[in-house]
Amino acid sequence: MSIEDPIETGLASGWQHVDGSTLTEPQHYQVDVVIVGSGAGGGVAAEILTQAGLSVMIIEAGPLKSSNSFNMEERRAYPNLYQQAASMKTKDKAIGIFQGRAVGGSTTVNWTTSIRTPRNALQYWASDKSIAGLSRDELDPWFEKMEQRLNIAKWDYEPNRNNMALRQGCEALGWEYTVIKRNVSGCWNTGYCGMGCPVNAKQSMLVTTIPSALNGGATLLSRVKVAKLEHQGDKITGLQAQALTESLTPSGVAVNVKAKHYLLSAGAIHTPALLMRSQVADPHQLLGKRTFLHPTLLSGAIFNDPINGHAGAPQSIYSDQFVWQDDADGELGYKLEVPPIHPILIASKTLGYGKSHAELMAKFNQLQVTIALVRDGYHPDSQGGQVQLTDHGFSLDYPLSDAFWRAARRAYASMAELQFAAGAQQVLPITEGAPYLSSWQQAKKVISELDLAPLKTIVASAHVMGGCPMGEDPKMAMVNSYGESHYYDNLSVMDGSIFPTSLGANPQLSIYGITARNATHLAQKLQPK
Amino acid sequence: MKRRTFLTTALVGTGALALGVNVYSPPAVNINPALDNPHRLLFSVLLPVILDGAFPTVESHRLAAQTRTLDAIEQTISVLPQDQREELMQLLELLEQRLGLLLLTGNMTPLMMRNPQELAALLERWRGHYLDMMVTAYGGLRDLIMASYYSCPEHWHHLHYDKPKYFES
Repeated sequence: MSIEDPIETGLASGWQHVDGSTLTEPQHYQVDVVIVGSGAGGGVAAEILTQAGLSVMIIEAGPLKSSNSFNMEERRAYPNLYQQAASMKTKDKAIGIFQGRAVGGSTTVNWTTSIRTPRNALQYWASDKSIAGLSRDELDPWFEKMEQRLNIAKWDYEPNRNNMALRQGCEALGWEYTVIKRNVSGCWNTGYCGMGCPVNAKQSMLVTTIPSALNGGATLLSRVKVAKLEHQGDKITGLQAQALTESLTPSGVAVNVKAKHYLLSAGAIHTPALLMRSQVADPHQLLGKRTFLHPTLLSGAIFNDPINGHAGAPQSIYSDQFVWQDDADGELGYKLEVPPIHPILIASKTLGYGKSHAELMAKFNQLQVTIALVRDGYHPDSQGGQVQLTDHGFSLDYPLSDAFWRAARRAYASMAELQFAAGAQQVLPITEGAPYLSSWQQAKKVISELDLAPLKTIVASAHVMGGCPMGEDPKMAMVNSYGESHYYDNLSVMDGSIFPTSLGANPQLSIYGITARNATHLAQKLQPK
Repeated sequence: MKRRTFLTTALVGTGALALGVNVYSPPAVNINPALDNPHRLLFSVLLPVILDGAFPTVESHRLAAQTRTLDAIEQTISVLPQDQREELMQLLELLEQRLGLLLLTGNMTPLMMRNPQELAALLERWRGHYLDMMVTAYGGLRDLIMASYYSCPEHWHHLHYDKPKYFES
């Protein structure tokens, strides 16, 4: 069956798109607003600013890929659509990080979970992080606007068996659970959101706001990597970029852009790294620090009936039973969700080798996996990681603190209790030394004695936040609550890097809503009078 | 390739590598062209250990799976970021030199001359090592091989899995 590819159709209709890998001569551009990055922040801002009548250029380091190339295979998706071919890790290699790198950013590959910023996070930001005007009541209209724009609605279909187990466990234990809202339209329920939606049902930036901006006259540069911002006094004066080859290495062709306004939406890690490379003013040494990951633990469970975690909407149920159990800055809480189960993902995020690993893989279709996303950035012993520049790019130094390991142990226990309550025959915490557990009683004892440690415990992240915090107090923030730089008149940041803590929730809708508010404010300031 | 030929190749190859000779001459040692790369030879001795139980047992199928996995490993390495690729190459080169082997394994015997039980014991030592560097080396090789093997649809039958075929005519 053939599915219409809206990107190919758009390109044929005359969109202004330049693939950096085709450039052979230096390029110079002049626009009203140049946006670095095309993910949740850049995509939403591009549409709003274009609709306001501004000339907009979007620069994306990743390639422009579309549904015709999304073949539901990890071996194609990871190198094409993810940062570092989905092999990105923290400096000590203890945490694997999944972050998108293609037009649409992480929205092209995320699992569609859409959650408004939790009130607890927003209250903490207002009380402790000098953030103004972002109460939930003030943000709700923006969330509503983006929910309508991206067709975000509760998943009304039966959850797949993987999510069903999460729901059943919560029901049996009397724990809170919520049916997830998803940004999909005409979803085929295939389960391959993480490899690029093959039927364009996911309302990612790739098929919504970016096409809208391009239809409105915006220009898209793909495979072009921004190297540096030029600045003088309180102004950004230019942007230097490099065209990349098809394999995303610099081709040697320079691209320079002058704009009235510079908007960074390269995401946590890359936005602060770009600002650090540009040596912008940072008198309080905030850039790159307090980068948060929702470091995530995994617990496998073997069920008697088929789970088939590769099929069906990857995430449709979550539980917030343990996220905010203490005060915001108390012991670290964790959100319970499930991931999709695909061959490379599971083979590499489980432990061991040889026969024991092969036996686990042979139970691929009976394997249920629950994940616990730890809410970092609130507790005094949870200060996140730090982006550091290296000769070839950057590294992220993220020490896992004692407070994290206490949360990890509680999380393994909660996940095992939930999985047994849902009918699991065996539970396997994904950490070295953990045996297959056959009862909740056994699990309680074994988990209390597990030797949890970096490199021995599998820790992953799909949510990168912080590193360029917002707030009204320049001592703790690089940009104000509208995302405007405290130091440069014509520089804004709109992406997950502005969050002063993690969210305790999947971030896409928070970025959509806050960017919609802040880009609308920026458009009003810049709009031709 | 018959098992005896493979072992002979491995021994000759290892000797050459350990002496710092990185060029193989396939006609002289009757080497399988699919192994005409020093790192492929190194991986070819690790694959049966790391993928024990997953690799097919029928000889011809096993060799085909090995060749596909070696190709996939090359492909995976080619898309790694520069820093990771350089670290990996450093590790592979150490494992192909006698002094490097001594440093990493406490023994100068080339990996190709060790039997699967000895290789498994080595991996176990790395896996539980008190030095993070050794655990990282284990994890890097393990993840690379696992990801490369399970990236191939031909290896999914072991999982009783296949991707949907909606779009195939």
